[in-house]
Amino acid sequence: MNPRTRRSLRFRLTTVYASLLAVALLLYAGCVSVFFLHSLREQLDLSLDRDVEAVESMLTSSPTGQIKPDSEEGEAHEGKFRQGFLLEAWSSVGSLLYRSEALEGQPLGSAPVVAAGLSPEPPRSFRLPSGLRVRALSRVHHLSNGDPVLVRLAVSEESLWQEFWEMSTALGIMLPLILFGVVITGYLVAAKALKPVDSMAKRAAEITAEQLHERLKIDNPDDELGQLGVAFNTTLARLENSFDQLRRFTADASHELRTPLTAIWSVGEVSLHKPGDQKYYRDIIGSMLEETSRLTKLVDSLLTMSRADAGRVQPHLTETRLFDLATESANLLEVLAEEKQQTLRVEGDETVTAMADRTILRQALINLIDNAVKYSPARGEIRVRVTNNEGFPYIEVQDSGPGIPPEHRERIFERFYRVDKARTRAEGGSGLGLSIAQWAVSINKGSIEVQCEPGPGSVFRIRLPKASAATSATIH
Amino acid sequence: MKVLVVEDEPKVAGALKEGLEAEGYDVTLAHTGEEGFFHVSTHAFDLIILDIMLPGRDGIEVLRALRQQGLKLPVLLLTAKDAVEDRVLGLDAGADDYLVKPFAFAELSARIRALLRRNKVDSENVIKVGDLEIDLVRRSVTRDCRRVELTAREFELLEYLVQNRGRVVTREMLARDVWKETARATPLDNVIDVHIARLRKKIDDPSDQKLLHTIRGVGFMLHEEQS
Repeated sequence: MNPRTRRSLRFRLTTVYASLLAVALLLYAGCVSVFFLHSLREQLDLSLDRDVEAVESMLTSSPTGQIKPDSEEGEAHEGKFRQGFLLEAWSSVGSLLYRSEALEGQPLGSAPVVAAGLSPEPPRSFRLPSGLRVRALSRVHHLSNGDPVLVRLAVSEESLWQEFWEMSTALGIMLPLILFGVVITGYLVAAKALKPVDSMAKRAAEITAEQLHERLKIDNPDDELGQLGVAFNTTLARLENSFDQLRRFTADASHELRTPLTAIWSVGEVSLHKPGDQKYYRDIIGSMLEETSRLTKLVDSLLTMSRADAGRVQPHLTETRLFDLATESANLLEVLAEEKQQTLRVEGDETVTAMADRTILRQALINLIDNAVKYSPARGEIRVRVTNNEGFPYIEVQDSGPGIPPEHRERIFERFYRVDKARTRAEGGSGLGLSIAQWAVSINKGSIEVQCEPGPGSVFRIRLPKASAATSATIH
Repeated sequence: MKVLVVEDEPKVAGALKEGLEAEGYDVTLAHTGEEGFFHVSTHAFDLIILDIMLPGRDGIEVLRALRQQGLKLPVLLLTAKDAVEDRVLGLDAGADDYLVKPFAFAELSARIRALLRRNKVDSENVIKVGDLEIDLVRRSVTRDCRRVELTAREFELLEYLVQNRGRVVTREMLARDVWKETARATPLDNVIDVHIARLRKKIDDPSDQKLLHTIRGVGFMLHEEQS
């Protein structure tokens, strides 16, 4: 047996069960044997008792002081005596009065102690010098002349022992057979019960990054193994999802990086083939630098996201006045709205506070307001609203743009996802603004959703966790 | 002013040398940490520009060793990592400033100037660029003797441009030094462009001589064009 089998759950389970069962069976066999022997002896004692009475009635004393079983009455018992009634009679002074011939001179024990008068001895089993196992019983008998005599009657125990050994042999053969059968069955049952584990392990080992769509087969989702399988499949589904996202992200990122690279390449290459003056070359280099700066911005955003993904950003939560934060973010971007003659307004409850990382949450707000300005038409209106609803602080950014078609709403927070691909790139968007906003909100334990009421405009709503009732000393 | 540049990437090292020499610095190049070490122990420098990612001993190790030897020169670290912990690591090792790649040369040049004049106080209160006059104490601006009204932000922007007059100022520098925005991913470029356009309208539009120039792909420069 190789060590792997020895370590297997199936083997260990069976071994433990087999040992327990073996111990139980041994105990059982032991108890049964002891009890059986005991009850056989009890029966023997009962019949000995009756025999003693019979023998007593036959005893007569001879003039010489010897006693012997009465021949007249003994007629009926003669057969029994010959068959093996072993009898001894002792006088009150400790002298042997009678001993059956069948004993051939062997004593049924030593001479009785007579100092305190004759007394019956407890029934006992022993071996005669000839090797015969006997059971002996004694009783004090009063002869017709009133003399007390100790009568010892013994009977062979050989048949009792034979019965006992027969039963023990039966047990000794049957129990190992039963044990063997149970162990084999148990091993097979364990194998069957654990078979799904084997197949799950095999299948799980086969699933690689390329086959994450595969799932484990589950026969019974309600038993323990089924639950394990379900949990494993859920993990697989999540993994597959992450892998898909990663793959898409890598593909998208490469594409996004390729665009400015292509621009740099072609602008540089074309200008090399064309003679031009200094102003022309300055212009070309400037154009290439513009693209380089776009690349840099993109890489910076990607790094921000990857740091976020790696969970390396630890938010520093402080009690933050959301209205102030919204005002600050809006003021920063107000010039952009002014350029488009848009109104950018911050309104709502000035007292609302939330536990948040100010810098990170501000980034989310700036990205949302920047978007709102971009997508609202000239003379449009942008509202930033701070409210408190059932204890939850909310910040809403409402634009007056075209809104987001329902089919895109689910995906606008995905990286590089664009509703109108050509347009956003022309406006200088990286396609990461909303993803960064979503990350910034979720790291503050909040959530973000987009709502598009019928009519123009969309509302991005940030919900933050309830601020603790205790007023903190650090209000920003 | 003698500057030691420890940078292993030949293109970057070459560009830095050329750019710094054009600004009047005496530049020595070293391509490894060991080479840099050798130069420092044999020559006197005013400033060291040290790349972190070097073959063999990295910039942080070199810097730590130099500081342990009692080197007091200002050291500017260059790195491709901009995580806060990397920055802290660099500053802990004894760097005086920290610049994340990729960077505009204009920004490097501004940082070097800042490091070299760290102890000198700029005592000028009134600065003139052509017929533009900026009073930094009274926070007033005149162009051709006519008063120009600026918002607070516009004044800060102009002040920064004036202090770096004749030199290119990038959007990143403005975002960090004027808007005090530390996160590089914050979309401020459009905001800066709008403010520049407004400032230009106020100080340049009334005059024939333009002072605020856009350097395409790099940033802006305030200077009097000699024509």
